[in-house]
Amino acid sequence: MLVLLKKEKKEMLIEYCVERFGISKVIFENYQLYEGSKNKIYLIKELLELRFIPESSGLCIFRFDKTPKPTTNFLQLFSADISKNVLDIGEKDLINYCKGNDLQVHSGSNKIEPGFIAIRYNNSIVGCAHWNKITVRNQLPKSRRCKINYY
Amino acid sequence: MNKQKQITLQTRIAERYARIVDNKDEFSRSINQPLKQSFRINSLKGDTEKILESLRKYDNSISPTNWYENGFTTNLDNLGSSIEHFSGQIYIQELTSMMPALSIADVNESKRIIDCCAAPGSKTTQLAEMMKNKGEIIANDNKHSRLKALRGNLDRLGIVNTTVTLRDFRSFPNTEADIYLVDAPCSSEGTIRKKNTIKRNLKEKDYERFSKIQKGILNRACEMAERGDQIVYSTCTFAPEENEHVVNSILEEHSVKLNNINIKNLKMGKGIKNWKDEKFDSEIEKCRRVWPHHNDTDGFFIARIEKC
Ligand SMILES: C[S@@+](CC[C@H](N)C(=O)[O-])C[C@H]1O[C@@H](n2cnc3c(N)ncnc32)[C@H](O)[C@@H]1O
Repeated sequence: MLVLLKKEKKEMLIEYCVERFGISKVIFENYQLYEGSKNKIYLIKELLELRFIPESSGLCIFRFDKTPKPTTNFLQLFSADISKNVLDIGEKDLINYCKGNDLQVHSGSNKIEPGFIAIRYNNSIVGCAHWNKITVRNQLPKSRRCKINYY
Repeated sequence: MNKQKQITLQTRIAERYARIVDNKDEFSRSINQPLKQSFRINSLKGDTEKILESLRKYDNSISPTNWYENGFTTNLDNLGSSIEHFSGQIYIQELTSMMPALSIADVNESKRIIDCCAAPGSKTTQLAEMMKNKGEIIANDNKHSRLKALRGNLDRLGIVNTTVTLRDFRSFPNTEADIYLVDAPCSSEGTIRKKNTIKRNLKEKDYERFSKIQKGILNRACEMAERGDQIVYSTCTFAPEENEHVVNSILEEHSVKLNNINIKNLKMGKGIKNWKDEKFDSEIEKCRRVWPHHNDTDGFFIARIEKC
């Protein structure tokens, strides 16, 4: 069962998106944010009132345990709006990333601050990773990992 | 499936529908040809032209369809392993599967749509794109095992306007909507050009079994709909038992009418007037049959129903 995200939590999340990824606040004006099980935050146009409980609604954009963790689906969807903490990768890293592997320290890594980052290939965000100043840790969910043959 | 069995299947289908197809030789020839892979661009995940440009860097065989600006074919058979697929910029979908959404009048951002049999979500994601990720879609299916694929596709394509439900649609609680899409489970004969999609020789009683389920689902959609609401019924089979017969029974039982379907530049056949001993309402001609040899596609059937 989804419940509307509390105002403070919503503001905190939006602030995180602005600070961390340079996403404009305005984007969130058109959406509602809900919290589901396992601390998952969903982005929804409008929560439907049904006579029964649905399986799911909208797109899971964050997992919020102690700190917010953005999902790959979220970063991909707002690809064009992300301007900060982006790591551009080449073909070899792309294949590795999509397989679910961590990436080696990259020449562009000085532009990124420790924490969650967006991985970009050919001007499109492909997913989420975590940078700890040593390794770029892959955050792709198992279900999204695959072998890329065409790029 | 061994060669002998496959030949029998194509031949049986060519023979079964020889009487209702406009050109039986062309029909028979086309169902023996393999089908090209087709895909749809998802503009929710990027600019259409830019996505195409990236695809064309490694695939010079991409051709547009002349009836849908987002529908394309390719000679590659594994675009599923492309970066554009990974990032949800394309969706691999049969051309015929793109047609029901196009036959619905004014799909727009203010509508609520119930996709009654939605998994794995080809048409749901197409409709969401047509609605610019606005409005409301309820994507329902009765098989838990198929919801994973549906959810996965909604996520990959970045769909935010959709709610997923798990119900047998025949007992779906009353829910208002402007449009009901019934893309019904069927014998799938129309997908014969794809490898191993029809697993066995269908018997007459199989058509009856599907027909019963289809009537149940379509009946529930017609019950729920209010005056002026649209109900689109589609199948990927040639069998009149699952097509005209089902729609005819709905015309008899509900206060509904059929509307014309026109997709510009797409050649479609009319619904048939009779099959075996059954004569259908003359309105049934407004249904549309997509024959494989007309547009080099699968086979398909669409009816556009309006509640009166
Ligand atoms: C032809 S497929 C739908 C394809 C889907 N519309 C798409 O475009 O991806 C038919 C679907 O109907 C579902 N189904 C079968 N019986 C059903 C019922 N009684 N209620 C709801 N869904 C049903 C099946 O599980 C199957 O996923």
